[in-house]
Amino acid sequence: MVAALVLLAALAAGAPLLARRLGRATGYVLSAGFLAAAGLLVALAPRVLGGGAVEASTPWLPSLGVEAALRLDGLSLVFALVALVVGALVMAYCARYLSDASARGPVLPLLTVFAAAMVGLVLADDLVLLYLFWELTTLCSFALLSSAGAKAVAPARRALVITIAGGLALLVAVVLLALAGGTTRISVLLAEPEVVLGSPLAWPVAACVLLAAMSKSAQLPLQFWLPGAMVAMTPVSAYLHAATMVKAGIYLLVRASTLFAEQTPWQVALVAVGMATALVGAVMALREHDLKGILAHSTVSQLGLLVAAIGVGTPTALGAALLHTMAHALFKATLFMLVGIIDKETGSRDIRDLSGLRRAMPWTAAATALAALSMAGVPPALGFVSKEYLYQGFVSAPGPAWVAPAAAACAVTASALTFAYSMRIVWGAFGGPDHPELYEPARSFLAPAAVAAVAGLLLGPAVFLFDPLVDAATSAALPGSVPPRIYFWHGLSTEVVLSGVTVALGSALFWQRDRVDAVLVRLRLPDAGGVFDAGHSGLLALGGRIGAGTRARPLGAHLARPLAVVAVLGVVGAVALGGALPERTATAVPGEPVLLVVLAVALACAAVTSSAVVLVALVGLVGLVVAVRMVLVGAADVALTLLLVEVLTAVVLVLVLRGGGLHLPPVVRPAGRGALPAVLPAALLAVGAGTAAGLGTWSLTGRRELSPTGAYLLDNAEELTGGTNVVNTVLVDFRGLDTLLESVLVGVVALGLGVLTRGPGREVRERPDVVLRVASRVLAPLAVLASVVLLWRGHDQPGGGFIGALVAGAGVVLVHLAGTGGGEGAGGTGRAVRLERLTDPVLLAGAGALVAVGTGLVPLVWGGALMEPFSVPGLYALGISSALLFDLGVYALVVSLVAACVRGFGRVPSAVPAAAPAAAPGAEHAEVVR
Amino acid sequence: MTTAVVVALLVATGTWLVLRRGLLRVVVGFVLLGHGVNLLVLTAGGTDRRGFALPGQQGQGPVADPLPQAFVLTAVVIAFAVTVHLLGLLRQGQALDEDDDAEGPA
Repeated sequence: MVAALVLLAALAAGAPLLARRLGRATGYVLSAGFLAAAGLLVALAPRVLGGGAVEASTPWLPSLGVEAALRLDGLSLVFALVALVVGALVMAYCARYLSDASARGPVLPLLTVFAAAMVGLVLADDLVLLYLFWELTTLCSFALLSSAGAKAVAPARRALVITIAGGLALLVAVVLLALAGGTTRISVLLAEPEVVLGSPLAWPVAACVLLAAMSKSAQLPLQFWLPGAMVAMTPVSAYLHAATMVKAGIYLLVRASTLFAEQTPWQVALVAVGMATALVGAVMALREHDLKGILAHSTVSQLGLLVAAIGVGTPTALGAALLHTMAHALFKATLFMLVGIIDKETGSRDIRDLSGLRRAMPWTAAATALAALSMAGVPPALGFVSKEYLYQGFVSAPGPAWVAPAAAACAVTASALTFAYSMRIVWGAFGGPDHPELYEPARSFLAPAAVAAVAGLLLGPAVFLFDPLVDAATSAALPGSVPPRIYFWHGLSTEVVLSGVTVALGSALFWQRDRVDAVLVRLRLPDAGGVFDAGHSGLLALGGRIGAGTRARPLGAHLARPLAVVAVLGVVGAVALGGALPERTATAVPGEPVLLVVLAVALACAAVTSSAVVLVALVGLVGLVVAVRMVLVGAADVALTLLLVEVLTAVVLVLVLRGGGLHLPPVVRPAGRGALPAVLPAALLAVGAGTAAGLGTWSLTGRRELSPTGAYLLDNAEELTGGTNVVNTVLVDFRGLDTLLESVLVGVVALGLGVLTRGPGREVRERPDVVLRVASRVLAPLAVLASVVLLWRGHDQPGGGFIGALVAGAGVVLVHLAGTGGGEGAGGTGRAVRLERLTDPVLLAGAGALVAVGTGLVPLVWGGALMEPFSVPGLYALGISSALLFDLGVYALVVSLVAACVRGFGRVPSAVPAAAPAAAPGAEHAEVVR
Repeated sequence: MTTAVVVALLVATGTWLVLRRGLLRVVVGFVLLGHGVNLLVLTAGGTDRRGFALPGQQGQGPVADPLPQAFVLTAVVIAFAVTVHLLGLLRQGQALDEDDDAEGPA
């Protein structure tokens, strides 16, 4: 069983390779592979047919109790064999249908993946696994549909949306079943139906299962995707949309019958939906003239009959449904293959054009007629026997006395319509005038369809061969029941009479086909597909309207929304809090009011200035004040970091401003009239957001003791990490993963900046100032030295990777501003080139990320935890620990950002790319000395 | 109390600048908003404990909560990265519409 699945997966993986070598002949290899997989399953049949089951499982998601469990019982065997045998026929057909070029495309691998998914679906003994395979078949169907090109876009989307919606319903059912039954193991759930049925979730589960099956098996009102799916190439239609995928819903319903078969609401829903689908599908089929369209609507109709039979729920009806599933797969796949042949040979699929095939293509015509007779339910074909049993199931339906006759009447009507459109196909093949220019297809092309057509004929009288299989499958679905015995002929019973009525009615419908057509043309059925499309585009339009606000052009409109939300949240929070706050414990420190005044003045000036230089100066001042405040609340490391960041920000701002834009647009438009209303919303929003933030700060901080986490860190940091700078130990030890990701982010920004500022541009250097140059020669090495000291002692004293890197960055900036780094005039010195290389942002970011991640991964070597601290032998004496190594990585990443700033903003972009002499990245080092 | 006022002023000015014309104002506005939020997070550690979490601490009062400090430290560096990135975008905008005298979108 596992071997069969593995074989199919291997075939799927190998199909593209085979196709490259063998071309379309790959179809034969895959066909043989499918038969081999079927053989592997048949080898297990003796155990399964005795009523047993073959199981295999391996733990998958142990925390959820989910196992990758497979189970082969009679029911699984029926559906798996249908998928594999029909698959083998279709693959052999593909070997002649496809061209060598299209065989190398995605169709063959996708069909094989689909076969594997289908077999997996029916073998799965775990709900999660079942769901997974279910969705895989949906996706395969979508991919195969989409491969048909532009005309398939809309139908493929319809099919996908409908079947995915059904898949979601199945997912809900899976979750609810797991909740109700306490396990996801299907065999366990089904072994004790009363557990699920006794739960209040039983009916939601049934509804979701039904919905999933209705979408997959194209039941009213979701049936419209299936006829649309006929744009796919014929082998795909034959395999997925006639024989197998649409049977997945049937499989699900038969499985669920173990739980729900005797529940009246389930029976009513299934019979009603199924019968309605059967009738509507058959009428639609009779209306069609396109051969594929007829077959598609016919599939809908036949699936409806199957659903109705499953709804009846007696062993007889269920057994009949299983037998008809096999019969239908056989004759419908055959018909599709033949339609594909006819289409290719004649260039037409219109049934009115096909008259006289019997003389030009006798064998094709004969095979078509055989398959169509099987579909019509004419003896002795297999379709006749399975239809007899369906009738038997409906006639013996349980419930009030009127149910059985009504069900039988519906089934007879649907079958009579089926007979009528089947006859049209036969007539198309045999009747009418000649088409002498046509000729018979190659034997190898016809062979798969012909074999299937003959099998459909011979298996009718030999139907007893199916008896053990149907017996085992029915017992698997309805444990303890007595399945029907399957014979070809069982006397002159009600069913035979009904068959006679069917044939009589059908013949009459066929005979009067012109009048029937006239009635049908006038018949207007509700267009579910149109409703779906309208709903779909309505939904998209709604999304567009909701998103319209975010497409506003002004920047302010985007930014105002989140800020407005902040203000509103503040008000709502203040109201909700209602003044019930603990006592404030905050203390004040002398000097704070002075800082406050400085800050207020600086901010007020910043708010109204139109000079970029003033703004930059003021923002530096504000940063300074904030840093002092941070010192006052005991955050030494943070204040140090902020100070350095402020210095670097100022440098970068100045570098950017060299590119122009020293004059900002006025804060308030000069035009006096209407100026105030224009700024009013922004002013209100600013005051609102500020008030909300201030109130939040006042009411939510400074009202509690030291947090438990903080107390724990203060008490244990030194013991656990060996570091005495608690903030730094939090960064590199306790929250190391956080810091790692944050510093990698910094590195990413450095790389992004490199890309942003690449473009054409020219290097601008100020005239080297002698004092600055001399100072930089001394100070830059000192800065680097200081940064190393800060890095080294960071674990114990203020410092660390971030701070050290910013100090080193200051050195890099100094060298750049002094113009001593990139060389002067021609070429530059070797030292300068070395420096240039050393501060390459890409190199620094890469090395930093490697060191930081590497240090985090090392403990895994001896089975430790990710980022666990360790001591480095030999280096420990120097005070070098794993924390320091990690910090070194952070250091390099942050330096890379500063270096990227200097490189990127040191150049002024030119507006016209063509004007730049060399736009290549290598031109970055070229400089223009002013 | 003063912290609350400081945060309020920073956020209000930041919001104002973010909503004004001129991309540089937007960048500066984000810097100020960052300051405000960083101070808020630091203050969440409590303003009655102001000692440095270092050996031989010289601060005032009992030792401050180190956890918010660690958060804010990385936040400061990331705010720097964001600022620089915004400036990169701003400069790109300058390059694209140099003729517009860097008006920026309204």
